Amino acid sequence: MTVSEAEAGAKRGRLQSLPRRVWEARYIYLVILPGLVFFAIFKYIPIYGIQLAFKKLKIGSGIAASPWIGTENFEYLFINMEFWMSVRNTLIIGFMQIILFFPFPVALAILLNEIRAKRFKRVVQTLYTLPHFLSWVVVSGIAINFFSMQGAFNNLLAVAGLQRHQFLTDQGVFRYLLVFSQMWKESGWNAILYLAAITAIDPALHEAATIDGANRWQRIKSITWPGISMIVVVTLILRVGSLLEVGFDQILNMYNPAVYDVADIIDTYIYRITFQRPANFGVSTAVGLFKGLTNCILLLSANWVSVRVSGAGIMD
Amino acid sequence: MARKQTWFDYVNIAFITIFALLIVYPFYNVVLVSFTPQAVYVRTPFLLFPKELILDSYKVVFENKSVYTGFVVTLIVTGAGVAYNMILTLLLAYGFNKEFPGKRLFLYLIVFTMYFSGGLIPFYLLIRDLHLIDKISSMILPTGVSIMYMTVMRKYFQALPIELEESAKIDGASELRVLFSIILPLAMPMVVTFALYYGVERWNEWWYGMLFIQSAEKLPLQMVLRSIIQTTGNLLMSSKLQEAGIVPYTDGVKMAAIVIVMTPIMSVYPFLQKYFVQGLAIGAVKG
Repeated sequence: MTVSEAEAGAKRGRLQSLPRRVWEARYIYLVILPGLVFFAIFKYIPIYGIQLAFKKLKIGSGIAASPWIGTENFEYLFINMEFWMSVRNTLIIGFMQIILFFPFPVALAILLNEIRAKRFKRVVQTLYTLPHFLSWVVVSGIAINFFSMQGAFNNLLAVAGLQRHQFLTDQGVFRYLLVFSQMWKESGWNAILYLAAITAIDPALHEAATIDGANRWQRIKSITWPGISMIVVVTLILRVGSLLEVGFDQILNMYNPAVYDVADIIDTYIYRITFQRPANFGVSTAVGLFKGLTNCILLLSANWVSVRVSGAGIMD
Repeated sequence: MARKQTWFDYVNIAFITIFALLIVYPFYNVVLVSFTPQAVYVRTPFLLFPKELILDSYKVVFENKSVYTGFVVTLIVTGAGVAYNMILTLLLAYGFNKEFPGKRLFLYLIVFTMYFSGGLIPFYLLIRDLHLIDKISSMILPTGVSIMYMTVMRKYFQALPIELEESAKIDGASELRVLFSIILPLAMPMVVTFALYYGVERWNEWWYGMLFIQSAEKLPLQMVLRSIIQTTGNLLMSSKLQEAGIVPYTDGVKMAAIVIVMTPIMSVYPFLQKYFVQGLAIGAVKG
């Protein structure tokens, strides 16, 4: 009797305390309310709208009122060559970015750190990071002009006595143009990120090593690199996790029909079939769901690996 | 540590300089093409200081009424957007820095949207159902909160001394008063940094403009630029310019438009660089 009374009392205490704690925190709820409303409207309503992937949108009625058609949209999609081509291009461009682009800013940061002239270093950093703040509309405009038939790059070839070449419509080189123009835009900014980590290394370590007679290469190898290797590894893992995000802004602004076969990625494919053709919103949503799920699995795995490796995940 | 310059230093400086030139040269070329007559550029594309500079390409761009409307629209989107983004983000960051029932659940619900989203089509249909199509607010309202920035702000708030806040509360200040009159002044460097990040994002807005805006006079500057870049050859020329004997040089006009759009960012960036880099330091280095 006494025991159950005490239990009931404890239960009642909890029950009383929750509403009370909620009431005490009422102003905090008020503070976060606008943000929560934003996420509810602009993130969760579209997530609810994903059901359209299994429906056929009836013009004039909303998503909810449209009839279910099972997996028809996916069946149509999975036998569609264009769709698989966009999946393939996404993966190829994604891996090209990781192999060609990813290591470069790391090296750049290590080399920048070895520059001792302060003024020079500052000016160079400003130049390196500037393109990051321009939109892809601007940078694509610059790149398209630069590699066009009468553009600067072809002028250079002409001066060197080589043939002018139509790079922008050449399926063999277009992916490289994508990766290199992305390197041009983002390398400096990414390098500054690593440089910030290098600067956090205790300078006493470098001094001690120098006194012990370590040369430049030895210091980079055994002080600078261990100091940033964790950040590099985590960044790499998370980059692999977002493999499907290969640069929609860039590609939509830079490509042209002649290179759709090699540069049309999942995101641009969705855009094209929805807004540049008679649209089937159900099929477009199905592509989005396919990408969303794959992306989610990749990200969760990357986060899992990252937490195991370093104790830090996406949110840290 | 004044050490002797070794061969490593020279190679390193050379490499760093070459990469800097690779960054600068395309910019230089854009400016050059925008200011030179076609015939001059074709003959001498590598001149550092071309003999003949003209403003014809700029005149053609500024003939375009949408450049002015685009500028105004982008100013509105940037100003209103940054205010909206900062208010939402600051409030969330401040609130989630406290303890309250349901905190973990709400945080999970927010973070979940980083992993999974509804995709383009349901989002587009939502904007349509909200009757935001062809409204300037369609380029502002959906931008809301960057979870990344919110997380960094939260960490920054955590590091602030808590005593100030507590004594203010004892004096009877409300949560909002505490946030605005005690926390924010202390967090000013961070507030400026993230306002600038949001500012650049809003200034560079083109995608929602492309998706949602139909009237030419509501297009943001970046979309005006995009349409100038994408139209090949058929540039709008007023009779006034034709009478003045201006023959439009398509590439020149495109590059002039690029210069006009990127100049605002390029001219303020060197002075604000320290704040942008500061954001990296707050966000990344803590390990």
